[in-house]
Amino acid sequence: MADREMITIEIDGKSVSIEKDSTILEAAREVSIYIPALCSSELVEPYAACRLCIVEVNDGRKTKLVTSCNYPVRRPIKVNTSSETVLRNRKIILEMMLSRWPNVQLIKDLAKHAGITPPRYQHPAVDLNPNACILCGLCMRICEQGIWENIINFTNRGADRSVQMPYDSEQPHCIGCGACAEICPTGAITMIDDPNQPYDADMVRRAGMRITEEMIRFDKEQCDMRGVGTAHLVEIMDAYDLLPVMNYRFGKHEDSSKISSDVLRTFFTKGKPDGCWLGCTMACAKAIENFELKTGPYKGEKVLVDGPEYETLGGSSNMGIFDPRFVIEYNFYCDTYGLDTISFSTGLAFVMECYEAGILDMEKTGGLEISFGAKDAALELLHQIGRGEGFGLIAGKGIRYMKKYFVENFGADPGFVFDIGMEAKGMEYSEYVTKESLAQQGGYGIALKGAQHDEAWLIFMDMVNKQIPTFEDKAEALHYFPMWRTWFGLCGLCKLPWNDVEPADNAETDEPAKVPGHVQGYCEFFEGVTGKPQTMDSLIGMSEKVYNFQRVFNLKMGFGKREHDAIPYRSAGPVTATEYESRQDRYDTQLREDVGIDPTGMSTIEKVAAMRKYRESQYEHLLDAVYKRRGWTNDGVPTVAKLMELGVDFPDVIELVRKHGG
Amino acid sequence: MIIVNGERLEWSPGKTARDVIKEKNYLFPLLIVRINGKLVPRKKYDSTVIPDKATVDIIHLMSGG
Repeated sequence: MADREMITIEIDGKSVSIEKDSTILEAAREVSIYIPALCSSELVEPYAACRLCIVEVNDGRKTKLVTSCNYPVRRPIKVNTSSETVLRNRKIILEMMLSRWPNVQLIKDLAKHAGITPPRYQHPAVDLNPNACILCGLCMRICEQGIWENIINFTNRGADRSVQMPYDSEQPHCIGCGACAEICPTGAITMIDDPNQPYDADMVRRAGMRITEEMIRFDKEQCDMRGVGTAHLVEIMDAYDLLPVMNYRFGKHEDSSKISSDVLRTFFTKGKPDGCWLGCTMACAKAIENFELKTGPYKGEKVLVDGPEYETLGGSSNMGIFDPRFVIEYNFYCDTYGLDTISFSTGLAFVMECYEAGILDMEKTGGLEISFGAKDAALELLHQIGRGEGFGLIAGKGIRYMKKYFVENFGADPGFVFDIGMEAKGMEYSEYVTKESLAQQGGYGIALKGAQHDEAWLIFMDMVNKQIPTFEDKAEALHYFPMWRTWFGLCGLCKLPWNDVEPADNAETDEPAKVPGHVQGYCEFFEGVTGKPQTMDSLIGMSEKVYNFQRVFNLKMGFGKREHDAIPYRSAGPVTATEYESRQDRYDTQLREDVGIDPTGMSTIEKVAAMRKYRESQYEHLLDAVYKRRGWTNDGVPTVAKLMELGVDFPDVIELVRKHGG
Repeated sequence: MIIVNGERLEWSPGKTARDVIKEKNYLFPLLIVRINGKLVPRKKYDSTVIPDKATVDIIHLMSGG
């Protein structure tokens, strides 16, 4: 984002340069000039209710009184914050406030500062409560603008005006986030009901409020999760050559802008919380209303679609389809049939490449011409999977099944289908190209559940930042992040608020990738619920027990050894000459600089082979380093010593790992 | 010549942090920029000029599912 237009104004003789459309109040704070204001907060839109922030503005033509909290600076002006007119008017306002709320400390202090002795008259609606509501409206505005709810609002008029829940009744939508109480300047709102009886509800609320505050302040300029959710990653992944295109062969496409977040934004229902988690202020799950379906059992009906998120969009580019309406329709039907959009799209990308490679034809697919970009055929196959019919019976069983089936029944080259069939441990890859990040290849391959990025997303750290250059560095990242993200699973928490919004001071911390401020917040959250103080290390310790136990479970089920952490070669490098040649400069340079081979005079096939030999050996070295860091044998089995250290050395566990050399 | 995330990049007088971000096509919003180890605040990307032979780290954080 480019720097905005700056305007220089004068406040009480001081010059201040401020972004256009900032308010006078913001400008005054920049140069430490105090203007009293009761209804103003950086967390909500200005409201100009209390009128205390009045100042005198001279725009070169005339002088006028304005409220500084909502007066936008658009041209050079002169501001006087304490002229005789300003002080006289402010004093009258304060005197009226003091007469109504004589015991509210905030009002008393301001009145004293303004030189007001006891007011000259008695207010007919005088409220003697020291924590009286002063009708500033901050609470209802934070609820509406910050939390995206409307639990409380003003009711009645004149002297009867007050803040209430509708019909003065308890609202089930109120989750007790406490934002209204937190922002209230007089303590008029207190939380009285904590049905879950946490150890320290205020500690939990404070940790939550910090995230809420960051979302309100920074989200628009950071990830815009409230606006478009994870869809914003489409254009980013395309820019970094990481968006899977045509079964992960490529990382970008000239048509990717057709399914970018700007396009999806026009479809999304706006300005409402999504309902994924009541009260979550990240609100990143999006919905599309009144979408008319073109195919399938609900053809012609207008439906509500939950999504699409990034993976569903990336899955579409992976099938070579760049049509937002297709994405929305396949999203709807995957949800309706109970299918995962990742497994479906990655599976279809594999089918499409097999079709183009001649392994499949129309006879084998039951008449479907299913090459890359064939959106009608893709939807038809989706419906066949849903109905359990035709070729859908084969495709619906996933890539691991299809690879074997195509080799045994269609004479497919096993080497080729195993190279391009993007699954690990039987689960389809999610939607990132990993060829240029060895650490991420491990992130997918070693993940316990199969090829998912949600244990560790390390591509930027590794490929772009070059922060983890050695095998040991990568192994450390492949220890910390999977353990950290396992912790979210242990506590039933979503990980997105951890790193999809960033605290203001994150850049100044030692390890910004870990977002230490948020890790501290989770420690407080845990302590607030359980009463047990935590540190970053103790949270990781919780996960390490479970993670190792899960690895042992995998072992028991036949998925827990080195051979099961193998990855399809497409995950590590170019399988075909076309892929190599599409990024020839990059690969030739790497052959020269990293592998130590001069590619001059080599055929593309020879270069592909040389690159493969190098990258496959790199992956094996990575496994060695990760297993060592985790306290596992070189075959990927947790050692007895490690399990004893973690306190999960149950007799049947020890017996099992001993059988496998642990 | 300057070094940006370990890779060489042409230097020219007046080149700013913003210019490098644009030249590298770094679209990701969660960036941390350091020039010779010194943090550059987000608001100063346009006005911070990079000296020749500088080491520039443009750290991308993580986001997404």
